[in-house]
Amino acid sequence: MTQFSVLLKKEFLESWRSFKFLWIPLVFILLGVTEPLTNYYMEDILAAVGNMPEGFQMLFPELTAADILLSTTGQYQLIGLLVLISAFIGSISRERHNGTATLLYVRPISATTVFASKWIIASLVSIISAVLGYVASMYYTAILFGSVAVSDFVKMLLTYCVWLLLVMAITIAMSAAFQTGAAAAIAIVLLPVGLLIDSAIGSFWPWTPWKLANHGLSFVTETVVMKDFGMALLFTAIAIISFIGIGILATKRNWRLTKV
Amino acid sequence: MTLLQVEQLTKSFVGKNVVDKVSFALEPLTATALIGPNGAGKTTTMSMIVGLLQQTSGTVTMQGVLDIRHSIGFLPQYPQFYPWLSALEYVEMVGKLSGVPARGLREKSVKMLEYVGLGDVLHKKTATFSGGMKQRLGIAQAIIHDPKLLLLDEPVSALDPIGRQEVMNLLKEIQQQTTILYSTHILHDAEKMTDQVLFMKNGQLVEQGSLVSIQQKYADPKYLIQFVQEQDAANFAMRYEGQLDGLYVYLPAQQPMQQVLSSLVAEQKEIVKVERVTASLDEIFMKVAYQ
Amino acid sequence: MNGFEQVPWALIAPVLVIQFILAIVALVDLKRIHATNGPKWLWVIIILLMGIIGPIAYFIIGRRQS
Repeated sequence: MTQFSVLLKKEFLESWRSFKFLWIPLVFILLGVTEPLTNYYMEDILAAVGNMPEGFQMLFPELTAADILLSTTGQYQLIGLLVLISAFIGSISRERHNGTATLLYVRPISATTVFASKWIIASLVSIISAVLGYVASMYYTAILFGSVAVSDFVKMLLTYCVWLLLVMAITIAMSAAFQTGAAAAIAIVLLPVGLLIDSAIGSFWPWTPWKLANHGLSFVTETVVMKDFGMALLFTAIAIISFIGIGILATKRNWRLTKV
Repeated sequence: MTLLQVEQLTKSFVGKNVVDKVSFALEPLTATALIGPNGAGKTTTMSMIVGLLQQTSGTVTMQGVLDIRHSIGFLPQYPQFYPWLSALEYVEMVGKLSGVPARGLREKSVKMLEYVGLGDVLHKKTATFSGGMKQRLGIAQAIIHDPKLLLLDEPVSALDPIGRQEVMNLLKEIQQQTTILYSTHILHDAEKMTDQVLFMKNGQLVEQGSLVSIQQKYADPKYLIQFVQEQDAANFAMRYEGQLDGLYVYLPAQQPMQQVLSSLVAEQKEIVKVERVTASLDEIFMKVAYQ
Repeated sequence: MNGFEQVPWALIAPVLVIQFILAIVALVDLKRIHATNGPKWLWVIIILLMGIIGPIAYFIIGRRQS
């Protein structure tokens, strides 16, 4: 237990002193407020930059608050995930590669505590970022487009947090299993690319973890199908546990790869 | 009572034994030098002892115990630290990981850092440390938990002569309370702090024993006679079956020195000196490595 | 064309402030860090001139770990 709390504190300090607790939330907040702003002022922006022909009329669909949350989520699922993956993909592999892990691995610590401490802190940073980002986005959306029910918003947010637990389980597990470059490539294929592929061809199976965020959004659009949501949640939980298991095994297996 | 027992330790990579049935024992409070050319398997052997590398076969036990991680300290050749932690934070952290009680850990860490000469930079981030400072911090982190055995991989090879001298002095002090096993290819250092020498070559332990016993075995004592005239040296070498090298003649040391001296007196040649010489550790190393 | 006074500053200002903070955080980190991938002056330019991309690129690529 001492070992675990010591490593947890170490991971926290690393993220704290490298400003991860600051810059990643700021990026999510920026992404979050940009969506309602650009959508609301799209007409003005186009009018200002483009030389519209006389009498030209463009039809803009009436956007609802839920539409804006949808497009904010789209930003998080691509840019947000790329930022999170890049920030944490070196967690284990880089320590092995640069030799800092060596002086820890010769001590009586377990692979489980090494993996768990990194996963928990990375998840904490991700969740803080997403929550602050969504709250900022909701604030702007409420001003410009109208609001949604608070309870639906909270349900959506919690669902997204569960998804982020999986994102970080995959990221850290890949870092444990491979070198940084390969780990990044695989994590990107599994997460942002996986989302694209799943949305393109996966309409037959509503339960994949990739659809969890969409199920969360269906709370605010009030189109939620509880059975599908439950299944997706279950499979996400299974995936989280599996990747944690893979991550711990890979951490243990690659103990020897640390540079001496 | 033996502290560490290494038996038939073997590591194979793709069918090749990079460490091949290495067995040795370390007695408490001794210093053992692991010597051998590059690629002999020194670092691999150490990695297995400290548990970074799983051996293919063989055992490492400390007084009968297999998991020895609580009782060892390890310093790799190029220790790497977290640049965002200060020296004190680092030593405290690894101390806790190795089970040092939290009560008094701060004071102990400060004392340890002062001991290795880092008292002025306790709160400095390690990112700014020089090679010598990192080596000192490396020693501090390796002994903060009072290990029974300290393993060091090439502890001084990366340092300049002054740093080397300082670190060796530090290690000699530590050896008063801790058993030490260190690898090196700088034999001069090994000669200064060694109770036991282990020679490795191609993954095998080719020679082991106390420094004195190895020196006796490979000493190959000779008489060296230095003449003033090359011609005299050549004539003398011919007559007494000596080995000629310019002004020098080497004679095997089986005969007593008096006999050599009396032959020299009989010859009535001018000489500079007569000396009994033995092989240095360097020469012994070359002999063992290339035999 | 809207006049300058018609720009919704109450909504835009926080965005600019956050961008500003992000750039400052990146510059502070750049100042304190021991070594970067690539020359430091180049990162100063990237952080200052590339909007939101600059600080993100610095934190992901520019920081050298160890």
